[in-house]
Amino acid sequence: MAIYLHAFGFGLVTASILALASVGLTLQFGVTNYINFAHGELLTFGAYFAWLANAHYGWNIWLALLVGALLTGIVGVLLNLVILAPFVKRGFPVLFMLVVTFGLSLILSNVILAIWGADFRQYHVAPDTQHSIGPFLFTGEQLVIIAIAVVAMVGIHILLTYTKIGKAMRAMSDNPTLAKNCGIDTERVTNFTWLLSGFLAGLAGVVLALNISSFQPAFGGDFLFVIFAAVILGGIGKPYGAMAGALVIGVVTEVAAIPLSSDFKNDAAFAILVLVLLLRPQGIFASEGKA
Amino acid sequence: MSPVLYYATTLLVFFFDYNILTWGLNIQFGYTGILNFAFIIFMAIGAYVSGVFALPQANGIAGQTYILGLSWPFPLTLIMGGLVAAFFGLLVGLIALKRLRSDYMAIVTVAVGAIAYDFIGNVTGLFNGWDGLGGVPQPLQTRFNIDFNTYQFVYVGIAGVVMVILWWLANRIYSSPFGRTLRSIREDQDVSEAFGKNTFKYRMLAMVIGCFYAGIAGGILIFFTTALNPSGWTTGETFVVWTALLIGGTGNNWGAALGALLVPVGFQEATRFLPQFPGNPDLIPALRNIIVGGLLILVLWFRPQGIIPEKKARFNIFRIPLHGAPAEVRSRAASIAASQKEESNVTDG
Repeated sequence: MAIYLHAFGFGLVTASILALASVGLTLQFGVTNYINFAHGELLTFGAYFAWLANAHYGWNIWLALLVGALLTGIVGVLLNLVILAPFVKRGFPVLFMLVVTFGLSLILSNVILAIWGADFRQYHVAPDTQHSIGPFLFTGEQLVIIAIAVVAMVGIHILLTYTKIGKAMRAMSDNPTLAKNCGIDTERVTNFTWLLSGFLAGLAGVVLALNISSFQPAFGGDFLFVIFAAVILGGIGKPYGAMAGALVIGVVTEVAAIPLSSDFKNDAAFAILVLVLLLRPQGIFASEGKA
Repeated sequence: MSPVLYYATTLLVFFFDYNILTWGLNIQFGYTGILNFAFIIFMAIGAYVSGVFALPQANGIAGQTYILGLSWPFPLTLIMGGLVAAFFGLLVGLIALKRLRSDYMAIVTVAVGAIAYDFIGNVTGLFNGWDGLGGVPQPLQTRFNIDFNTYQFVYVGIAGVVMVILWWLANRIYSSPFGRTLRSIREDQDVSEAFGKNTFKYRMLAMVIGCFYAGIAGGILIFFTTALNPSGWTTGETFVVWTALLIGGTGNNWGAALGALLVPVGFQEATRFLPQFPGNPDLIPALRNIIVGGLLILVLWFRPQGIIPEKKARFNIFRIPLHGAPAEVRSRAASIAASQKEESNVTDG
């Protein structure tokens, strides 16, 4: 039984990572109304930027994490400014926007491959000890990962509820035309959303890389469908839904790894994705409209 | 056989094979507007299934493990590959096509792609895992004992015949009422629904037929190369087909064929022999993928209709059968026809 409790604990860590990645994806979807299939590559960028700062320039890993996330946020804004926003301005249908982001995912993953090569990379971190908290076992790093996710989620909540730009994001998510007519600078809000989405993806990428200890150029893209599972479970475009979805998917994949095998733990996320699409495609927390 | 001739026939087989693939994607995306981002997975399924139907029982001597191993004769193996790929298309469609939004289909195919890749790689008993299948017997070769050089030409013929049949079928579908319904769904699903079309059924059919094409293309590939492992069907390969279709022209099978000639055969082959950089063996393949992805985005920006755009359907009043219609309808049709003719004279002149 203890092994399942430990797996549950690892699940909380995975859920924290997933929450960062899926809230970023779902916020960006809500505001722009198309899915970014290159989101997984943003995670990879974050991991490599932080690796550059940490392993190459010798910075502390948590400082490197922050720098990596900020740079990834900037990559997100650049993607929007240079490629995606012009397509949207031309009135490209969503169907083609998806093909564009799909093409971007190929380009970005290969840019990473061309720059940094296919070798597995690791951060320079001090060896960690395990702490037992209640029935769970966590390393110090994992505790920080959970703390980062909790702080980020509370931050997102405050942003969306109390700040002007957060309210503008929700307004655009509900009705972009109405939001624009009410005087919201939709371009600025869209760019801010890409910055935030990229920042969260960057955070997620670094903590994912820390948690699995070594990474290579495909690791973010391979994680993408697990992020999708969390996003769809919570209802696409719903940040709080994505948080709940991340919790469920994170715990289920880690617990399922015990009887299955860790090779197949992501299949559990896929099974949930399929079940949700068959039974309740609008997600657990759905409202009218988006689905 | 001269190496040039050998190379030319090999390219020809690849070209025929990519034609079939690109037409399959055209039926899904070009005709119907279905986003299948795991198209190459269905090719892989077709290839593996054709392979295990053709291979003899796995006895472990060659170190391979796989299911079935039935030693079936040629056309049946190919057809089984196509059918099984179509069946998996049906399963994916059942999960995702019920929803109106195209996003869900795209998400599910991305997830299926990731799962299928790991699953086929990790479950070694299925298709020999990451090592892949090898030594697949080539169609008709053992039976007629054809020598290696002649067989190269025989196989061009086999692939050509299959391609011509599927070319005919793809165009037949396009111009049939069924194809018209598919295009109406692509343009506006709600309107087709309002006209009483069961759009789920039609989209499902397009999905299944497209996956059948992919499966057949997979069979043609594995019988030619006699081996396939997961590195032969990565996401990058899906992009190659997408880029070919978008460059050539979505919705137009001539365009798709031109795209198949330009991207997989032209570009991929032209860059195949570039030297490798010491120290970074992945640089050249990565740059090729960046160019393929970049082409995809550039084409969408500069010429979204592709090099050979789809022919705009024009309402032709002359072809409506009006025998037995009331006289006033016929005279009104005649006057519309006259004005349309005048209009076309003006535009033509």
